[in-house]
Amino acid sequence: MSFGFLSVYYFFGYTGSIYFNDFSMMYSHLLFSTIWIPFICGLIFLVSVKDVKTLGARLLGLCGGVLPFVFAWILYFKYDASLLEAYNFELILPTGLESLGIFLHLGLNGISLPLFILSATVGLSAIVYALFSNAERLNLYVGLLFIMFSGLMGTFASVDLFFFYFFHEFALIPTFIMIMIWGGVSRHAVALEMTIYLTLGALLSLIGLIALYQQSGAEAFNMIALKDALLEQPISEVLQNNIFALLFFGFGILVSLFPFHTWAPKGYGAAPTGAAMLHAGVLKKFGLYGLLQIAIPFLPAGSEAWGFWLLLLGLGNILVIGLVTLAQKDLKQMIGYSSVMHMGYAFIGLGTFSILGAGGVLLLLVAHGLSVALLFLLSTCIYKRFSTFNMDEMGGLGQIAPNLSAFFALAILASIGLPGFANFWGEFIIFTALGESESTRWVLYLAALGIIISAVYGLRAVGNIVFGVAKESVIQANTGSKAGDMNPIEKFSATVLLGSLLLIGVYPKIFSDYSNKTLQNIYSDTSLLLNDEYVGDFKLERDTEYE
Amino acid sequence: MTIGINEFIIVSSLLFLIGFLGVILRRNTIIIFMSIELMLNAVNLALVAFSRYNNTMDGSIFVFFIMTVAAAEVAVGLAIIVMIYRQRQTILVNELNQLKG
Amino acid sequence: MDILTNLLSLLFLPLGTSILIIALGKHRKKYAPIVAFMSAIGALSLSYILLRNLPESVHYSWEWLAFGDSKFYIGILLDNIGATMLAMVSIVALCIVTFSIGYMSDDAAKGRFFAGVAFFMFSMTGIILADNLIMIFLFWELVGFSSYLLIGHYFQKEEAKSASQKAFIVNRIGDFGFLIGIILTYWQFGTTNIELLSIQSGIDPSLMSTFIGFLLICGFIGKSAQFPLHVWLPDAMAGPTPVSALIHAATMVAAGIYLLIRIDFILTSQVLLFIAYSGTFVALFAGFCAFAQDDIKRILAYSTLSQLGYMAAIFGMGYSGIALFHLITHAFFKALLFLGAGAVIHACHHEQSIFKMGGLFKKMPITSITFIIGTLALCGVYGFSGFYSKDSILIAANDYNGTLFYFLVFGAFMTAGYMGRLIWIVFFGKANSEAASSAHEVSAVMTVPLILLSGFAIFVGLNAYWPFGLGASIVSDLDHLHHLSGYKEIHKWVLILGSAAWIVGLGVSLIFYGKGSSEDRLQLKFPKVFAFLQGRLWVDELYQYYVNHIQKPVAEFLSFVDEVILRGIIVRGGAGLVGVLGVGFRLLQVGKINNYVLWFFVGLLLFWLYGIDLF
Repeated sequence: MSFGFLSVYYFFGYTGSIYFNDFSMMYSHLLFSTIWIPFICGLIFLVSVKDVKTLGARLLGLCGGVLPFVFAWILYFKYDASLLEAYNFELILPTGLESLGIFLHLGLNGISLPLFILSATVGLSAIVYALFSNAERLNLYVGLLFIMFSGLMGTFASVDLFFFYFFHEFALIPTFIMIMIWGGVSRHAVALEMTIYLTLGALLSLIGLIALYQQSGAEAFNMIALKDALLEQPISEVLQNNIFALLFFGFGILVSLFPFHTWAPKGYGAAPTGAAMLHAGVLKKFGLYGLLQIAIPFLPAGSEAWGFWLLLLGLGNILVIGLVTLAQKDLKQMIGYSSVMHMGYAFIGLGTFSILGAGGVLLLLVAHGLSVALLFLLSTCIYKRFSTFNMDEMGGLGQIAPNLSAFFALAILASIGLPGFANFWGEFIIFTALGESESTRWVLYLAALGIIISAVYGLRAVGNIVFGVAKESVIQANTGSKAGDMNPIEKFSATVLLGSLLLIGVYPKIFSDYSNKTLQNIYSDTSLLLNDEYVGDFKLERDTEYE
Repeated sequence: MTIGINEFIIVSSLLFLIGFLGVILRRNTIIIFMSIELMLNAVNLALVAFSRYNNTMDGSIFVFFIMTVAAAEVAVGLAIIVMIYRQRQTILVNELNQLKG
Repeated sequence: MDILTNLLSLLFLPLGTSILIIALGKHRKKYAPIVAFMSAIGALSLSYILLRNLPESVHYSWEWLAFGDSKFYIGILLDNIGATMLAMVSIVALCIVTFSIGYMSDDAAKGRFFAGVAFFMFSMTGIILADNLIMIFLFWELVGFSSYLLIGHYFQKEEAKSASQKAFIVNRIGDFGFLIGIILTYWQFGTTNIELLSIQSGIDPSLMSTFIGFLLICGFIGKSAQFPLHVWLPDAMAGPTPVSALIHAATMVAAGIYLLIRIDFILTSQVLLFIAYSGTFVALFAGFCAFAQDDIKRILAYSTLSQLGYMAAIFGMGYSGIALFHLITHAFFKALLFLGAGAVIHACHHEQSIFKMGGLFKKMPITSITFIIGTLALCGVYGFSGFYSKDSILIAANDYNGTLFYFLVFGAFMTAGYMGRLIWIVFFGKANSEAASSAHEVSAVMTVPLILLSGFAIFVGLNAYWPFGLGASIVSDLDHLHHLSGYKEIHKWVLILGSAAWIVGLGVSLIFYGKGSSEDRLQLKFPKVFAFLQGRLWVDELYQYYVNHIQKPVAEFLSFVDEVILRGIIVRGGAGLVGVLGVGFRLLQVGKINNYVLWFFVGLLLFWLYGIDLF
């Protein structure tokens, strides 16, 4: 009932403010609309739509997918990098939980903007593909996908930390349901395993966030207030270490940090396409975004203490999981493992604690999100042609479906860091950041081996799938009106993703400029937190020994 | 030999113990109820004894409460036992184990 | 048009061509060859216009990416060296594209082929015009990608798949070192811009580091197929022959040498020493290997390897201008040789073994004559282009180190030997197979480029006559050579030895192998020697061993650890533990009221004990 009241209240206050010419707030409301438009669409699909194949349902779905994408790009062009507080399009709505300091506080800064657009792009691609697919109970599927999409948009648009976590869970639960119902083999066990593991990670990070809030004495549970509070009085070193540990491992589990990655390959292997695309492409970035936006700037001493582990475990991702990827025969599992491997680059990039490293991480996050979503999309397309995910049984796709082969080869090459695609810049900048100081150079030498490992498994996949001669049975199954080469929907979804990869790859400044300004802002402010006087007056609670 | 408070305490405890053991060890639900009654009455005895020993009325007043509650509880309990018997044709506790995990 | 527009069009015309051909869709097969041809002509004309009015040095730079204090640029640097490369690449590319129109005429996927070639031209031009190491690396990888695409052109063949994979991965291994080298250079010097680097290393030579130098040349080792990353080049012959001509003879492998020339000033003397020795080693090693090959393209591939060794050796001796010189002459005659081989293969209905050819001189006179011209140029016969560059190499080697000099002379002898073997067997004697006897001269669209290239193979050695002042660095190096002490004696001695090398080489091969043989006499008479040469030092086998017996088991072991231990025991085991606890607690729920009452009292007791502080 309170939800009902709240929604009515919002709606009136909200439309009222638009109508009464508050145009300066228009873009903030546009930001909010990117969250509630998919949500409403999702609800409609879940509740009212019976047959998704009708024109009305399709139009509704397309609106729900295209509008956030368009709005996200509008917001991009209206972004003003010179704003003092560094958050654009701020919108603060009350929730009734003001006593805890929780407001629906939305906004975008240079770190969340690229991820926000990533979310919109992958969402568009996934939803268009799902709308026209042939899954059973399609209305449920599309509805859940929309709800997940709205959660994703909300995560990156949130300045308030409670809603940051809330939207993440919002996006995670539909994943669970989707894997349970529409997943592949062994989906029940895998769905449970993945969701519980991820919820554990999210819980750890929530505890960390709450601890941060309590210890900082901020007036509201959002990033701006936290920053102001911590600028005045930083937290003590021991507490920073502990809170950072909570955040590090919590977010790390969410991003499949080695050795907490085991949920990823099986999970993605069992997930249906849309869920896999949105999860691997966008939701995974939640953890790294949290580390980048919250943990490292606000807890500099803690970051330094745990920096070695960031580097070491990230290397574990790259080298150990890289080698494990080599041994995979199942296409989807290989893509899942390779996505875990690339997160390793992001962790070691963060471990450099420099603006260069952080910028590289951001570029890599966007690039990786696009490329892994594209790969999952294409793997489903390939499955439709071969009826199997086992790469040993495939071969000759170049013969049956040349366009699909080209997309697939390009997607693999993009993900292994071919220049011209965005991943190259991300990886390159991270490597450069690693080379800066003597202490991180050993990481560079080891991490660069990753480019060889990824080339090996990537090209092996292309070789097994695209090259060679196709079997008779496969050719039969693909001639005439059946699968064959890519249909327009598949092409559209794939082109949206590949085009974005190309765009950023050729002109990385499109995102790096804004990110650069924000990163400089954040890191130059928090350098104040690194000076030695801070340990002084703050008394910390020591565990008393029991006599 | 004068009967002091100790004797009353001993008797009361013994009665309570017997009642307790009855609750733990007997299978028949009605016997369990009787044992519960025994426990309650043991407490009553103790309360009256202490009331007399301390020359206050508090204990005795409380005895009235206990007796009332015991009566009400027995009424409801016996009604439930009858309904259970109608459903399950047994009132043996080891056969009434649908809550077994 | 102004220089910047010219440069940008030169860079983007091939890219545009590639995209256009792809966009043609169904009409690709018909129009791709024409589009590619027009584009090659366009590129050549643009180069001509550009070089005609070339100022001293052209430099443009745009900031492309910046984080914090670090900035990365994309820029264009066009100096004399770059201009020379550009001229060569445009001419060779035009000839090869023309040839391909004929060679690929019956291929169903020629659209993809021409698009790939155009994209390759774009990447190669990018390397030539690049003004900083990061940009070179960027286009370096793109060249590797084009190579992957083109080697794998016949994608239905197993060998194309493994060859293209091998090429890309071995290149990546080289790129691994190259990338680390670039990053360390960036932090050491604060920039990767080539001009700035040369200025800085001039001011402060202590900044140069041998470690960084070795890392940087890893890229060269990978791209130019030096030992031990040479294994991809012979396998790359699985691609169509024009690809081998363009990429693996004239341009891509030359990109490595071009890189060396560009970063010359940053390499310490130890690195140069290493390059000189390793280059000589490759020159000889490849020569030995060539004797045991019977595929005409593979012989030429090893010959390319050997000549790259020469270029590396002379570069290591300090004469980067002469390395450029040899690169240019080699590009022309090697492209000629490969195209000639392509014509031969085409005429013999895709037969590639030299022992199944024979007597082709009479059947394909133009091809044979141009091929022989190419061979003579390769062997360094006086009057042909190869002579001028090889001669200078030998003179410089003589001055640098006597041992290396004799090795290089021996290498020249071997070159003549295996090329002689090729010529006598393929073009003379009797036809050894059905295919060879029914061969006939190829069409004009294929012979015209051959004739054109043979003209270059003869005359391009006269570098003094190169237009627009191209090859200035060559002139200065040659000048330096002429002023060496005892130049006249050295030159005489080199002339004698050099001529002896090719005369004896061609003669011995004629006598030993005979004309138009159908089997390898070396194999017959000295089987053990032949087997050893065929082993090629077993580097390929070593890599295969590593992949199959080290990498694969490690990967599978790690996969097992991940699946069974990390996921199975720790994670699901943890879940199992919780489950066991659950089962345990379940045992408490017996359903009997009596037990519940007992537990209730036990709990009460515990609370009481806690209350009176017994706990």
